Amino acid sequence: MLRSTPETAPLPHPDLLAAIPRLRRYARVLTGDSTRADDLVQDTLARAWEKRRLWQAGTDLRAWLFTIMHNIYVNQLAVARREGVTISLDSEGAHAAWQLPVRANQVDRVELLELVAQMGRLPTDQREVLLLAAVEEMHYDEIAATLDVPMGTVMSRLSRARARLRRLVDEPASPLRVVK
Amino acid sequence: MNGNPASFDDADLHAYADGCLAPGRVDTFEAALQVDPALAARVAEIRAQSAALRAALDAIVTEPIPERLIQAAAGPVRGRSRSRWPRWLASAVAVAATLLLGIGVGWYGRTIDLEHEGTPTSFARQAAFAHALYAADVNRPVEIWAADEKRLVTWLTKRLGLAVHAPDLNNLGYALVGGRLVAGNEQPTALFMYENAGKQRLSLQVRRDTDSHGETAFRYAVEKGVGVFYWIDQDCSYAISGVLDRNQLLSIAHVVYGQLAALDAAPR
Repeated sequence: MLRSTPETAPLPHPDLLAAIPRLRRYARVLTGDSTRADDLVQDTLARAWEKRRLWQAGTDLRAWLFTIMHNIYVNQLAVARREGVTISLDSEGAHAAWQLPVRANQVDRVELLELVAQMGRLPTDQREVLLLAAVEEMHYDEIAATLDVPMGTVMSRLSRARARLRRLVDEPASPLRVVK
Repeated sequence: MNGNPASFDDADLHAYADGCLAPGRVDTFEAALQVDPALAARVAEIRAQSAALRAALDAIVTEPIPERLIQAAAGPVRGRSRSRWPRWLASAVAVAATLLLGIGVGWYGRTIDLEHEGTPTSFARQAAFAHALYAADVNRPVEIWAADEKRLVTWLTKRLGLAVHAPDLNNLGYALVGGRLVAGNEQPTALFMYENAGKQRLSLQVRRDTDSHGETAFRYAVEKGVGVFYWIDQDCSYAISGVLDRNQLLSIAHVVYGQLAALDAAPR
């Protein structure tokens, strides 16, 4: 009774569920907002079901889901841009709204919050590559496939992302940090 | 610089730090690291940054998964009927998914936290001891048996001075055995004992914790072979203990947390 039949459920349900936590993390870093992130994950899962015939059994479902999420998000950004709505994580408001549950007692909490906040200021393409490489620990060729860009692009974005993040953390723009 | 760092570019450096350098080049790169401290420092810096990002973002993957996403993973409502898993099973799998991830992704960090974050350690330890003491008691593990659940809950509620509930863990294969009151450091603690078909027991312990503020993530400790997941939520400390592996225990903790949160949200 619990077995899925191929006609109705070609996507492996347990694998989909298993992918959710990581999709949520990726979405959170993309959007910087937990509600928008979960909306994005929900859209991703819905799209995956719509396009389920495009998924080849035996291939990496997670990478496929990341690709779908990336495409949806990039699309949303394009639509927003066309309609003149700015979705920018650089703005103070969005920056302050980063909802990341860094554990309250974590010794280096302030540093981690700062790091994540500064990560939010990276351009989307750099942030994506950094997240997939450093946090998801994907191989470069998987990242290239997920984002549909050449491997050289992955590597140059990654290098720029890391250098920029280091600069942002070392010389924060926040006036709060001027206090000695 | 004694080596020949010029033969490696920035891309090689990152690839090496990420474990993505072509296998044929790793040896040469490591030879260069030996003689070029600056290069080694850059590798260390990249890895430290990645580790910090993981540490900062790991908490997200262990959050409970919102119900709407569990629903979305089950596919469109139309045509779902034949293949759909029972809801509880989907939830349990989702919980397990969170947990498995936790293990893959730097979950090891969490046990260490215990040493750093002094406060609830004593609760975790007490929970483990109480569990070890009563779970081993074949004949009298509880004061009031599950047959008298209503009386048990009323009594514990009265003694603790807060509304307690015995979560329903039947979907996970654990039936309520009963409960008892346990002496704690400062506060009495309610203990609910559960048992599965294999006679494996686990306990949920609850006590009022007025010093706490808000909530904490799940934390894990092992005391004398008893695993404990504990957390604080709204003036209460909770601990799930059992001689179970961390995965199983955490999945149970998630279910308990979810049920208690649902009770809190429901009007009484």
